[in-house]
Amino acid sequence: MAESYRRSRWSNALFILPYMTVFLSLLVFPLFWGMWLSLNKSDLFGGARFIGLKNYYRVFSDPVFGQAVWNTVIFVLVSVPTLVALGLFLSLALNKTTRASSLLRGLFFSSTVLSVTIVTLIWRFVFIPGDGLLALLFDKMGWEQIGFLSTEGWSLFSVGVATVWWCLGLPMMLFLAALQQIPSDLYEAAALDNASRWRVLTRITLPSIKSTIVLVAIVQIVMQFQLFGQAQLMTNGGPAGSSRPIVLYIFDTSFIRWDVGMGTAASEVLFLIILLAAMVQYWVTSRKGEA
Amino acid sequence: MKSILLATASAALLGMATMAQADTTIELQRFFGACEADYGTVTDVSKAVGECGIITSLVNKFEAENPDIKVNVTTVEWPGYNQLNAQLASNAAPDVVSVHYSAISDYSTRGLFMPLDDLFASAGIDPADFSDAARGGATKDGKMYALPFDNWTMLFHVNLNLMKEAGLVNADGTPILPTSVDEFFEQGKQFKEKTGKPYLVQIYANETAAYMRIFYTLMMQQDYDFFKDPSKIDLSGPEAKKALEFMKKIHDEGLSTLDMDYSAAVSGFSSGEGGIEVNGTWLIGDLDAQSKEEGNALSGGYTVYPVPQFYPAKNATYVDGHGWAVPRGDRDEDKMAAIGKLFKFLEDNDYEWARTGHLPSVKAVFDMPEFKALPHRDKIVEIAKIGQTLPEGVMRQFALQDIVGEELAAAINGNKSVDDALARIEERVNDLLGNL
Repeated sequence: MAESYRRSRWSNALFILPYMTVFLSLLVFPLFWGMWLSLNKSDLFGGARFIGLKNYYRVFSDPVFGQAVWNTVIFVLVSVPTLVALGLFLSLALNKTTRASSLLRGLFFSSTVLSVTIVTLIWRFVFIPGDGLLALLFDKMGWEQIGFLSTEGWSLFSVGVATVWWCLGLPMMLFLAALQQIPSDLYEAAALDNASRWRVLTRITLPSIKSTIVLVAIVQIVMQFQLFGQAQLMTNGGPAGSSRPIVLYIFDTSFIRWDVGMGTAASEVLFLIILLAAMVQYWVTSRKGEA
Repeated sequence: MKSILLATASAALLGMATMAQADTTIELQRFFGACEADYGTVTDVSKAVGECGIITSLVNKFEAENPDIKVNVTTVEWPGYNQLNAQLASNAAPDVVSVHYSAISDYSTRGLFMPLDDLFASAGIDPADFSDAARGGATKDGKMYALPFDNWTMLFHVNLNLMKEAGLVNADGTPILPTSVDEFFEQGKQFKEKTGKPYLVQIYANETAAYMRIFYTLMMQQDYDFFKDPSKIDLSGPEAKKALEFMKKIHDEGLSTLDMDYSAAVSGFSSGEGGIEVNGTWLIGDLDAQSKEEGNALSGGYTVYPVPQFYPAKNATYVDGHGWAVPRGDRDEDKMAAIGKLFKFLEDNDYEWARTGHLPSVKAVFDMPEFKALPHRDKIVEIAKIGQTLPEGVMRQFALQDIVGEELAAAINGNKSVDDALARIEERVNDLLGNL
């Protein structure tokens, strides 16, 4: 060890230089620059003027921002448990070595590789009134059509359905990987004890993949707080802002209204929310380590 | 051996000469859609239909006539200002960009577009050639910041086949259209009773522009100056409330299709789901072409009119227009001369663009026999006279459109009261304009 210390040279740092350059220029610098911009009256084309916390005051007193935060929180609260539960269910159902399960795994994962544009286009075909898939189904059943993309409540629900369909592949794969790490002798012992399937699930399977469940939940919380493309392309945040998430608010404020200062102030608030979620992850995992 | 060398050298020189021919490249960025598959090589503009087809073949023709100039076209999603802003912020803006007159002030006041008066003078473009509405739209603070290309507005596209079924056609075959709010509801109800379909096909979902344009039009028809001070919207007058209540009543009485987004509304009207589509001038060419085909809902039964005058105070309709601007940037004389040539070409071919349905920007086109012979133009030329824009000092008109449209939609769909929506428009718009 001492030998390697003696031989260490400052030039060894050159090995991390490419990564550090990208990290500092594309992550660290924009982070601090964003913080600085949020304290300025500024548009996209310069001319920044320091105004202290006025942008934050405007953001917090804007009911549209409050509505966007509420929409995002509701969206995360509903979509994340759904993604965890459905991902877990699918991984349990497909944790087999048959040809059909391999095919179905690929099928369920395939939506994840699509771009947001394609995903929203597909779901638009489903939800759009008139000729949409659901509209035709409702007509067939003799029910009154629902404006899924233009009715308050339904619009966020529709964005959520498209999101779950799009994002389901990753949780499923993570759960499958975790399930395959469980030693098979545990299941053999349970079989010898004649344990019921429910008991095996709740006493062996779920406790064994607990850390993966937490990981998937935290990753999804962080991802779903950044909801943007689906909402912009499917509903544009409407009707009446009822499906506008925080990132769409930031986008509108910065790029449509050109108010970059206020947009970055809203970004900093989102950053804090996501930081809080990441800290929860740290807290939960370190508590487990202590135990 | 010698001859082979000579032949190779000649071929190389010839190649270089060909390359040297296209020695100036214009980067042109536009909306109007992409249709390279259909029109990528078409240079006969008369064969093109629709906005995309006509502008694509116009550029092809320009390149064919000017082999020393290459035009690199980048198509952006409408309206394309997000991309343009990002390009301007990183000093990578294109040479020529399509703009709406209503967006020019945002850029001209920040020095992001170049004034074009000198370029026009050197290219032989006389500003007096343009109609007042078009020239006025492209002129800010006394300088022209865009080549005016057209004027457009919302129209009543009429399905005459359904109107006949509803008994709303005169003896001469023209549709009976309302001349007041009361008549609108009488005729709308009659249409619905007779055909079982909604009177209007409107864009209600995922859209803000259509709401805003009609709302502005209805206030303008009441001669209500809601932007007396361009930095503040004033909707406190009864005219604003009347306009929004009218729009809401259309929804509440079931006289409009519901929940349709832009493309659903366009295809809905084409397939006969309602009597009158409230949409822009740009659809005339395509809808007229459809009406000339057999076996569809519009076969032999399409016409178009300006939005009727619902209020006696003033015959007015909200208009905007398209133009071509030159973003700031360092360009040499050759490039500016090439841009001037392109602009002159576009001005000279304004008739071709007018075939889309947009109103010409060049005055002389209005008098051309070819233009007069275009279908339905006689019914909409009056827009050049009655068209009204927002005052040029009103900034961020696209951002305002989103706010106004969103709040109007909330009131119309019953998510908010009319008074609340109008109050929120005032608060949000004035907050935006007060913090530029």
